[in-house]
Amino acid sequence: LSLDSAVTDAPAIAPIESSRRRGASFELWSWYFMRISGLILLFLALGHFAITHILNDVAKTNSGFVARRWENPLWRIYDWLLLSLGLLHGLNGLRFIMDDYIHSSAKRATTKAIVYSVTTGLFLYGTLTVITYKA
Amino acid sequence: VKASVYRGKSGQWAFIAHRISGFLVMMFLLMHVVDVSTIHNPRLYNEIHELYSRFLLRLFEVGLLAALVFHSLNGWRIVMVDFFPGVIKREKEVLTAVLFLTALATIIGGYIIIKPEFIH
Repeated sequence: LSLDSAVTDAPAIAPIESSRRRGASFELWSWYFMRISGLILLFLALGHFAITHILNDVAKTNSGFVARRWENPLWRIYDWLLLSLGLLHGLNGLRFIMDDYIHSSAKRATTKAIVYSVTTGLFLYGTLTVITYKA
Repeated sequence: VKASVYRGKSGQWAFIAHRISGFLVMMFLLMHVVDVSTIHNPRLYNEIHELYSRFLLRLFEVGLLAALVFHSLNGWRIVMVDFFPGVIKREKEVLTAVLFLTALATIIGGYIIIKPEFIH
């Protein structure tokens, strides 16, 4: 679009405006997402920690413990929700951190590519683990 | 080149602590997906998870609890300030409550997490 406007000498205001609006609506959506997912994660994450460290001694959370818990599909859904919401909330937080502290745009793009790939890979790996596990 | 540094008050420290605790919990989560996924090989899973009950790792878990509780409660404080305009006037008291509850949960939870180390 910027090339077109340079060639035709047309005002470049319209495309910039629309891309800005798109960016703003994404950030607004991201802002709501952090608050809503955060409120859900408050219960999911603290609940998970309470089960594995407070209500049970961590020494007892062996493979048998997981087998008993994952017999019930509701616990698999609970764990998968914690996995996906946690990773997405955490990834968006890492995005803020990278935007704020990595000033070189080349380095920022590279770091983001690595962070997004690793997180996506681990999301798929974790999802596969929760779905395919058989005691 | 001398950069100017913004010297905020309690809210700025809450912001910094929120970032650091969130970053640490995310790093743990990324690692935790890998260690849980060894469940397909129960013997390997048990070997790795035996580490979680070592004293040093129990201390780490108390730290994880502190980061998790602080990030949760401070996040809840942020939501309160954003959606209920009246809360901003009592912003400092709310932050004090967040810190107090974080300390309380960490002390009680930490006691429960560390205790098995001393009663074998």
